[in-house]
Formats: sequence, structure tokens, C-alpha cells
Amino acid sequence: MSFEVFVTNLLYGLTIGSALILVASSLSLIFGVMGVVNFAHGSLAMLGAYLAYTLILLKFNFWWALILSPLVVGLLGLLIELFTLRPLYARNPLLQFFLTYGVAMIIANVVLYAWGGDALGIDKPGSLQGPVNILGVYYPKFRLFVFFFSAALALGLWLFITKTTWGVILRAGIHNRELVEAFGINMSRVFTLVFALGSALAAVAGVILGAMRNLNPVMDLDLVIGGLIAVVIGGLGSFRGAVLGALILGLSESFGAQLMPGFSKFTVYIVMVAILLWRPEGLVRGV
Amino acid sequence: MSGAQAFEYRTMRAAADYKRYLAVVLLALLVLFPLGAGTVVSEFYVSLLVRIFVFGVVVLGFDILLGYCGMASFGHAMFFGSGAYVAGILFKHVSPSIWLALGASVAACAMLGVLVGYLCIRSRGLYFIFLTFAFAQFFYLFFNSWQFVGAADGMPGIPKPTLGIPLDLGNRTVYYYFSLLFLVLAYVVARHIVRSPLGRALVGIRENEERTEFLGFNVHRCILTAFVISAVYGGVGGCLFTGYQNFVSSSVYHWGLSGEILIMDLLGGMGTLIGPVIGAAFVIYLGDVLSTWMHDTWLMVLGAVYVVFILFSPEGILGLAKRALPSQVFSHVVRGKGAL
Repeated sequence: MSFEVFVTNLLYGLTIGSALILVASSLSLIFGVMGVVNFAHGSLAMLGAYLAYTLILLKFNFWWALILSPLVVGLLGLLIELFTLRPLYARNPLLQFFLTYGVAMIIANVVLYAWGGDALGIDKPGSLQGPVNILGVYYPKFRLFVFFFSAALALGLWLFITKTTWGVILRAGIHNRELVEAFGINMSRVFTLVFALGSALAAVAGVILGAMRNLNPVMDLDLVIGGLIAVVIGGLGSFRGAVLGALILGLSESFGAQLMPGFSKFTVYIVMVAILLWRPEGLVRGV
Repeated sequence: MSGAQAFEYRTMRAAADYKRYLAVVLLALLVLFPLGAGTVVSEFYVSLLVRIFVFGVVVLGFDILLGYCGMASFGHAMFFGSGAYVAGILFKHVSPSIWLALGASVAACAMLGVLVGYLCIRSRGLYFIFLTFAFAQFFYLFFNSWQFVGAADGMPGIPKPTLGIPLDLGNRTVYYYFSLLFLVLAYVVARHIVRSPLGRALVGIRENEERTEFLGFNVHRCILTAFVISAVYGGVGGCLFTGYQNFVSSSVYHWGLSGEILIMDLLGGMGTLIGPVIGAAFVIYLGDVLSTWMHDTWLMVLGAVYVVFILFSPEGILGLAKRALPSQVFSHVVRGKGAL
């Protein structure tokens, strides 16, 4: 592998990985705080991407689409939590997973119904078109944008969780919900907001990944499986774990496609099975 | 026997008689059904019922695992698909005998069940879901790219299976009775299993795994047995599916199918055996009606129905019927709260 190829793969792996951080960390946050594994996460991301596509068709520019689409999806997440998840918290956690599977089915097929089965593309903003020279390698500007944007957002989320009062409440809620409520904090409201925030972050990931690659009605599975595997590798409910898992996954995808063409889809599942059998609790403990 | 006991005994007897009566009438209707095909009812419904019987077998096995044992597998298509492909390869390249294909499917799925089960059953809940899902995806991706079985295009030109007696399995009506026979057989065997000591132990594991272990049961072996039984049921279903369709493609391994099997079980009523068969009938019928004008997007309706059931009647259609009908009729059909 020549140096240029190596740098290209490294950059591409980090780019996919950083976008996956947005999916994985919000999935992990929802699991950590609410105990819900949200199978609809990929579908929400996909819905975000398609909404952005339509917004751009309606003459909004890319940046407005990147803001408005996650807002709409976040609102939808709020409604999903209020009307479908909330009645199930006292029940068997499996039931919540089954429910999110049903929600994923509904969203995915609404998308298929509304936008059709053909692959679509989101127009990238003019300032981000064309390549840029890094270490002698020509790398598309937009991918570089995806990397820095996701990394900045992930950093912001990390600061939010560790440095703000809200973050303290979230982390305390992961440990002991009753105790937090005893301090007069309404955890039900926190649950709703966490789910809405998670949905919005998933939509952001959907929009930028959709613009980087393309939009298709099966991208939801790729996203949710990618996110779940990253979370499982890193350890359910751990933010740092989700970041680590997403980067491992992104790099194994880009280098896997290079070293073992045709088997890159297998590697993802092999990594997941190996980690689950070897260390069911994941690589990182704690937030 | 006190008065109250005698009364309870009488109602139980009455309910049991009523259920037996219901079962006989239903079975008689199903047996007579093809005779009216082409005149009273459309031929199309015979075909629909064959598919319901086939998936009924699959979901019966799945119910032993999820409904009785409480283990939610999200990769059950791996067994259905393996049965379907084993049958397809045998029919096309070895012999069109349905008995050989059934035997081979059962053997293959039992071995696969032991292997995958051994690796998966140490984990619980969501990890079990992810692991079974990942294993099923291996099969999907593999059969989607294996040239010998036609890769993503599927495997066409599979000959009609033969019975070894002068009855043509290529005939729709014959296949109808053949698959109905298997459904009834599958039900009888499953009923026997869930009423055996193993079945009781499985319910014990579902309700409280630790306590069951302390009672002296080998919990892992019980779960593994349930897993293998459900795998074999899936294999038989897959084999019957290929025998009827004469075509196999990697869609038999698709994760959406695993999800649909789960939905059939949950919609019908987990842990009741008869409920899952009703669930299979409901899902397949709904799919047929809706997909004529909605194509694949009919799944959005199924998803909505499924979500409504989870929220308002997790005991499924049978649970709903139990609440709607006089209590003694269903008093012993739906036991306890079911898996959830």
C-alpha cells in the first residue's frame, strides 16, 4: 500500500467514523439514560436526509436544510417518545426494542412511499465542491467538512455531557433515576428531551452522510447497524466507547474495502460477533 | 369435592369441550376448503393458505423459543433460509424426493442450531438479539454472493418435488393437504413439548431463570434444546416453502423476514402456540391484500398495526379475543401474562 493510498484510506475511514460518532453517541446516550435500544435510529437519520433533499428542492440552501431537517426529525422523536415509548418503561425492555423495530418499519416505508426506491443525491454547497491537497493527496473538500463538522459536534456533545448542569443530570440519571427525581428533577421530561436530541443528531448524520454518498431507501439499516456495532464495541451507554467504536468501524470499513474487496460487508459483522463473544460488556466502562 | 371446586371443574370441562369442538370445526373447514376452490372460493386462497401453513410451522417453533422460553431471536430467517436452500440444492442437483429434502433440512438446521445456539445462548436480551441477527446476516451476505446458487439473482428452475407415491406434489391441492398435514403435526408435537417437563422448565426460565437453575434444571441445556427445536421447525418450513415455490433467492435469509416471524408471533399472542399460527395467517393475508396496491410499502401498515398491538395488547390477537369473549372459553388457552 503506497503512502498516498494509505493517507486516502485513513482520511476516509476517519471521515466515516466521525459521522458515525453522531449516530453512535446519540444511540448510546438514549440507551444510557433511558435503557432503550432504539432500532428506529437509522430510519430517523434516513428521514432527515430525505427531508433535507426535499428542502433543497424547495430552494432552501444546504445550510438551512442542515438546520431545519434535524429540527423536524427531533420534533418527531419527541412525539415518538411521548406517545409510544412512554407507556412501556415499566415493562420488559425487550418490548421497547420490539416497538422501535415497528417504528423503524413505519418510517422506512413512509420514506419509500414518499420518495421512491431510486437513489437520490443532495447538492453540495458550492464552497465545498472540488478537492483539496493534503500531504500530496487530493481529498474532496466535502469529506473534509464532514470530518471537521462531526468532530466539532461530537466535541460539543462531550462538553455538554461533562461540563454543564444538564450533563450532570444526564450522567446522574444513568446511575440512579430515583435519586435524581428525589432532587426534584423531572426525569420524564429529561427522557423526552434526550430522545428528541438523539433523533436530531441522527438526522444531522443522515444529512451529511447522505450528501457525501447518496440517499437510498436501505441506508437506514447501514446507519443503525453501524451505530449499534460501534456502541456494542465501545460498551453500551458509554460516550467515549461510542467514539472509539465508531472510529474503529470507520477505519475497518475503509481499509477493509481496500485490503479485502468484496468482503467489507462481512468484516463489520465479524468484528461485532468477535467483540460480543469475547467481551460482551464492550471495551470502555463509564461515561 | 366442594361446590366451588365442582363448579370450576365443570366450567373447565365445558371450556375444554368447547375448544375441542372449535378445533374440529376449523380443521373440517380447512380440509373441505380446496373442494370449493374454483367454484365457491378463488383458487388464489388455496395458494394463500399453503403459505400460511408453511409459515405457521416456522412460527410454531419460534414461539417455543420466544413465547415459552422468553429468548427473542432476531435471526430466525437463518433457519428458514437454510431449509429453503438445502431443499433447493437437493431438488435441483440430487433428487426431487421431498423426504430426502426434509430429512436433510432437519439435519442441517439441527446442526446449525446447536452451533449458533451454543455461541448465542450465553448472552441474554439485547445481546442475544444482536448475535442472532449478525449470524443471520452472514448467511444473507454469503448466499447473496455465492455463484453456485445464483447469487443475488436467486436459483430458478427447481423441479417439483415428488412424494414417492402416485400423488403429484406439483398439484396445488395435493400440496395444500401435504402442508396442512405438516402444520397439524407441528402443532401436535409443539403442544407435546410445551406440556412436557422441558416445556415447564422453559416457562420457568422465562419467568425466573435463577430460580429455575436453583431447582436443579440445567438452564443452558434447556435453552439450547428450545433453540434447536425452533431451528428444526424453521428448516422444515423453509423446505416446504421451496417445495411449493420452486424458486429460492437470498430474500429467504433477509433480516426483514426474521422481523416478520417475530411480528407474527407477537401479533398472534406469544406463548400460546395457536396464537402465532393466527398471527401468521393475519400477516400473510394482510400482506397479500395490501401489497397488490401498495407493493413493498404495505409494511408501513403492518408496522402500524404491530405498534398498536404492542402498546394496547401485547398478548396479541388471542389476548384481545380473551378479553372480548366469555372468560371460561379462553381460561386455559392464554396462560398467565405470556412472555412479557
